[in-house]
Amino acid sequence: MLWSLLALFVVYPLSAMFGQAFLVDGRPSLGPLLSALGQPNHRAALANSLVLGTLVGIVGTTIGFLFAFTATRCNLPDRWVRLLDAATLLPLISPPFTTSIAFVFSFGPRGLITYELLGIKGTNVYGLASTLAAEVLTYFPIAYLALRPVLAAIGGNIEEMAFSLGSSRWRVFRTVTLPLAVPGLANAFLLLFAASLADFATPLILAGSRFPVLPTEAYLQITGLFDLKGGAVLSFLLLVPAAIVFLLQRHWVGRGHFVTVTGKAGPQSALDGVSRGARCLLVALCATVALSILYLYALLLYASVVVAFGANHALTLKHYVVIFTEGWKAIKDTLIIAFLGMPVGGLFGVLVGYLVARGEFRGRQAMELVSMANYALPGTIVGIAYLIAFNDPPIALTGGALIIVACYVFRYSPTGVRTTVALLKQIDRGIEEASRSLGAGSFTTFRRVTLPLVLPAFFAGLGVVFIRSMTAISATIFLVSIDWILITVRILENMTELSLGPAAAFSVFVIAVVMLVTTAIGALLRRLPGPPGIATVAGYGGG
Amino acid sequence: MNRSMTRRTALLAAAVAVAALVATRPTQAQDTLNAYSIWPENWARPMLEEFTKASGIKVNFLRFSSGEALARVIAEKGNPKIDVLFGGPVETFAAGVKEGVFEAYKPPSFAALPARFRHVDGMWVAIADDPLVFMTNRKFLAENKLKAPASWEDLLHPAYKNGLQMADARTSGTAVTRIFSILEVNGRDEQKAFAYMKKLRGNIQLYTKSGGGGTLPVGLGQAAGGIFFIVDALDTKAKGYDVQISFPKEGIGTAAEGIALIKGAKNSAPAKKLIDWASSPAMQSLFAVHKINFVPAHPEVKTEASLAAVLKDAKIFAIDDAYAGANRKRIVDRWVAEILP
Repeated sequence: MLWSLLALFVVYPLSAMFGQAFLVDGRPSLGPLLSALGQPNHRAALANSLVLGTLVGIVGTTIGFLFAFTATRCNLPDRWVRLLDAATLLPLISPPFTTSIAFVFSFGPRGLITYELLGIKGTNVYGLASTLAAEVLTYFPIAYLALRPVLAAIGGNIEEMAFSLGSSRWRVFRTVTLPLAVPGLANAFLLLFAASLADFATPLILAGSRFPVLPTEAYLQITGLFDLKGGAVLSFLLLVPAAIVFLLQRHWVGRGHFVTVTGKAGPQSALDGVSRGARCLLVALCATVALSILYLYALLLYASVVVAFGANHALTLKHYVVIFTEGWKAIKDTLIIAFLGMPVGGLFGVLVGYLVARGEFRGRQAMELVSMANYALPGTIVGIAYLIAFNDPPIALTGGALIIVACYVFRYSPTGVRTTVALLKQIDRGIEEASRSLGAGSFTTFRRVTLPLVLPAFFAGLGVVFIRSMTAISATIFLVSIDWILITVRILENMTELSLGPAAAFSVFVIAVVMLVTTAIGALLRRLPGPPGIATVAGYGGG
Repeated sequence: MNRSMTRRTALLAAAVAVAALVATRPTQAQDTLNAYSIWPENWARPMLEEFTKASGIKVNFLRFSSGEALARVIAEKGNPKIDVLFGGPVETFAAGVKEGVFEAYKPPSFAALPARFRHVDGMWVAIADDPLVFMTNRKFLAENKLKAPASWEDLLHPAYKNGLQMADARTSGTAVTRIFSILEVNGRDEQKAFAYMKKLRGNIQLYTKSGGGGTLPVGLGQAAGGIFFIVDALDTKAKGYDVQISFPKEGIGTAAEGIALIKGAKNSAPAKKLIDWASSPAMQSLFAVHKINFVPAHPEVKTEASLAAVLKDAKIFAIDDAYAGANRKRIVDRWVAEILP
């Protein structure tokens, strides 16, 4: 069943796409690939994408780890932790290009920061630096969400043991915490690298014409030159690095087995894992990042309540009137699709993750690879592949909501898959074996033992599918139709129509809705029976 | 109970639930039609609402920039989702004719339209005309003690280095019209035209996906200036941004905006009514009422006075669509290979 779904919604459209890329008049050919590589612009785009993806992966994982470590190890008051969470939530729950626009306002030749504040003239906002900064601010929360449960699960007992054996804090961090976090770190890096490779919207606005990247080139190739073949070839170029990083990461993580949630674990003790100085430094760093995020979003909020940003700063609510009248259909459609995709995506992520981590069957690794494919590929290509594959009979789905829901589920459940795998790698199989040897059936074991343990991953996956259903654009821009339109597509259109106000108002609305829903999930989770530690973690995972 | 069976049941249940909830929406009433609009929503919406008022026919529409709209129409060729492609520069329609996605239809106004405002077989007709302009930020001009650019050569001034934003020829009809304008003012000498564009490249800050993408940065002063359709430029000014509109003395091109019936349209009767209405004075006399700065295509409709005043001394020429259509792909490819990197 899982296989047939994966075959239908991952393998089949991608095959259709690769048919486009490598078949010339029905015969296999490398011609299109070679001619794409012959263009200097495309070669530059490939190199730029790799550089950008790697940097986003490294910087984003570092910041994500910093946040996760600060939140779990610094004994911060709850209020502070909530503040950190709120700041990291913002980029996750808004369409990526809204940050980009705030960047353009802030750092250009007339930017609020570079010109108005610092008086620097002739700055250039377009290029690697600002694309990197915008993508890191947008995607590091994924790393934070992925790493936080992992760090929390590593827990205090092992570290405490090391302390009581006389290790210094730094030594514990280096020899215990960090190695145990390696699967999580690799997981975070992969997610960020893939997210950067797939993002066409941020570079579209910030990369400028001297720093072309592949997803944007592929998007322009398809939308502008009507060149499906060229776009397919460029996407193949993108798939290669994504697949290599993915396989490397598996190899690297697969070497060691770290079991930290054992049946023998005692009550968690409060940790004092960092010194005063380190704690101040960590909090200061996190606060800086959090404040810059809050600044960008304050700017966005401001743009939504003035008549015309930069020209007429009289306060008005007319942009909100516009989105709730002319934009109402987009709002309604998006909400229906997001609420449909959410539970399906969460469930799917955990099931595939469970099978990959615990299953013993042929093709386990192939299943993992296939389940990641739609995430690693640029959304533009997934969208076009869906359009080609599902437009005509036998499987005509375009124009409906099902295809958009399917696209989100198969594209964004990998977060749930990876988180499930990372969590399960930390859970001793002995717990499940003990349950079975005590006479519980395998289903009971799954429901009573494994399921509660992977619940954080379920809610992380579900949360990401919901958030992305509200905010993603790159794949679904090709799948919207007369009957089903999405808010994000309206935002991008508004931006190119000089209707910045409605675009900002839409963004604020999206952020508000997602906050509401994720908060509700968190509150619900805290009421669920189960070990308190897990419920807390899951609450954050839900963000 | 068997574990894998339960999983299967659960997934199946989820799939069925989704399918049931997502089951297609109620079929549309008789007097409805579907369209992709290349015109931005703030111009398409008032026009199409006027059409509904006049005819009782409801229009569901979705806005895309020209490249995207055409890509969708081509992808949906086997199973058309829409009935009409509404607005957008004529190059887009020429490309569509080549792909065989349109159905010929000659509205009553067909005979009255000048030759450049209609496809010879009625594959498309024009509903407006849209000249290009130079648009610059006035604060930038004052700081650099420059006059508004009045010649193509003026844009090569070193003060504009890294300061101009204009559209990317891969996606934007605005860009294609711009490139053919440059070819025209250079007497269609491609060597000369591309040498000019290479020099201009040094002053480009960003090639934007859509034709109007650079208007806001220029309005805010993030960019010094650019080349845009007049309808976008005048809207920027109307919003209160401090920009200057000017024309090159060598002349600049204008593009007809089209409308076409999709081949295999499911609502072709109401679609034809929309084409009748849009190509006639009924719609085009409303441009002025809604402060939309398109130049009417129908000879009986007068250009609104303030728009006519802006255009009064400008030297504007029509892009020869036979020449543009025949050379479009080659020229754009050359632009991508030589100018873009």
